[in-house]
Amino acid sequence: MSTLLSVNNVSKQFEVNGRTVQAIDAVSFAVEKGECLAIVGESGSGKSTIANIILGIYAATSGSLTFNGSELPAKRSKEYRRAIQLVQQNPLSSLNPRRSIGASLRLALDVHDIGEKAGRAKRTGELLEDVGLPADFRRRSPSSLSGGQRQRVAIARALACQSELVVLDEPTSALDVLVQARVLKLLKELKDSRGLTYVFITHDLSVVRNIADRVAVFERGKLVELGQTSAIFTNPQNPYTRRLIGAVPVVSREEAALRDRLMEQESGNA
Amino acid sequence: MSAPTLKIDDLKLSFKTWSGTAQVLHGISLHIKKGERVALVGESGSGKSVTARIVLGMLQQLKSARIAGSVEFEGVNLETLKPASRHALRGTRMSMIFQDPTSSLNPVYPIFAQFKEVLERAQPGITNEKAREKAISALADVAINEPDRVLDSYAFQLSGGMNQRVMIAMALANNPALLLADEPGTALDVTVQAQTLKLMSELVKKHHTSVLFISHNLGVVREFADRVYVIYKGNIVEQGPTERLFDDPKHPYTRALLSAVPRITGGGIPDLDDDPGRFTAPLVAHEGYSERELLA
Repeated sequence: MSTLLSVNNVSKQFEVNGRTVQAIDAVSFAVEKGECLAIVGESGSGKSTIANIILGIYAATSGSLTFNGSELPAKRSKEYRRAIQLVQQNPLSSLNPRRSIGASLRLALDVHDIGEKAGRAKRTGELLEDVGLPADFRRRSPSSLSGGQRQRVAIARALACQSELVVLDEPTSALDVLVQARVLKLLKELKDSRGLTYVFITHDLSVVRNIADRVAVFERGKLVELGQTSAIFTNPQNPYTRRLIGAVPVVSREEAALRDRLMEQESGNA
Repeated sequence: MSAPTLKIDDLKLSFKTWSGTAQVLHGISLHIKKGERVALVGESGSGKSVTARIVLGMLQQLKSARIAGSVEFEGVNLETLKPASRHALRGTRMSMIFQDPTSSLNPVYPIFAQFKEVLERAQPGITNEKAREKAISALADVAINEPDRVLDSYAFQLSGGMNQRVMIAMALANNPALLLADEPGTALDVTVQAQTLKLMSELVKKHHTSVLFISHNLGVVREFADRVYVIYKGNIVEQGPTERLFDDPKHPYTRALLSAVPRITGGGIPDLDDDPGRFTAPLVAHEGYSERELLA
């Protein structure tokens, strides 16, 4: 595997009411091609800030990012904006309500000039079919779709421009559990069939356990633990990671047993 | 035996819309005995929140709502009460906690002013000193260790977890018989959510408060409730004691729901065996836990 994105000693400070807030504090990690790296943490941990830095929405205060071996500029060229895409939490606010689904997808193709102009209308239908929606959804408006369907459209749009890295910011936390399972399944299939790379940002550790290859745990702007998913969940090294896993509400006895074991370790160490 | 705190019998609700009527509740029956913590769990649009709103009497005034069936609170049919006496129940004998604590507190009044308003519902004309004293002890119950600072703050100056604890303290300040908790803690971080649920759990146990706990989060329900009703499209589809229902779900819908929850022990994303046709199968009550048996 080769490295697609590397984050090198990145820090980000915000000035808030004259005070300096260290949102990201000297963070380094790499995202390998074809993997799903989960970034987990609570609100204020800096997980969304690092996502915005990867996307080029914020410039890092210090440190650098490299993508496919070359340094990412603070002001992104169109090429990088195409290659790194975002799927947000609430598709109702990320899709233009006045624009049909087809027009939203078409815009992505037009902006990045993908494929022959004549074939683009047809292409939007194929994109919808790729995410498990009927092609004639093109004519519908976002408000006439269910939450899960809208999220599929948002995924289709992120994939429309042949992106290499998709930043998924809480993509399923607004969905019901049955819908969530289907959308997660779709994300996994798309990743495997197209060799996509995901940065999956979430606070939901049960989801992370089942979709991520590796997990990065953030606490107050610092990367406190990074490792293979199974290792993080069976033998977390950092007390904060143990506390996070220990707080997950669970539905089965096996899970409760795992959680109790971790909490025991935690109180043993304290 | 005294009457259950809440008894809902064959409750139906429909809304009149421009294109006809939309049936939301198809005749649900549930009850909560004194001190019991009962969960109503289902997906969005299943009818969980409207049930709580009917209990509070917030839908009855709505012109487009058609309600049938009975809701009894401590043995009194709420339908027979005058609007004024219904109003008197809210905030005193029954209270509610909402999902997002920050938006359910008024941003232009400090916490104390709102706390006093709550206390005045039960004791009209309570003095500032007395109210402050009560508020401080209520906040101590939810493990807030600087009550004075919190009471003089505005909601937006406090963290989400702190606001949620304030809401819990307010909801329980008048020692209600029934607490309606609609997705409490969903907007909070997991560690904070775990703490607030634990606090709430201890408090209602201490005061023998009956709780109707409304949630879509199965894990949270398993942690909090004694008994569970699963609701799907306005029908109760399964009911039983929490442990048995989670270990041995019997209704196809409950099974699908439980299998769809990702596990922290791994196992991948499940293949859903979902045939929504089977989700409408009739109510399954675990042995000894049907409405008839429990209310006998």
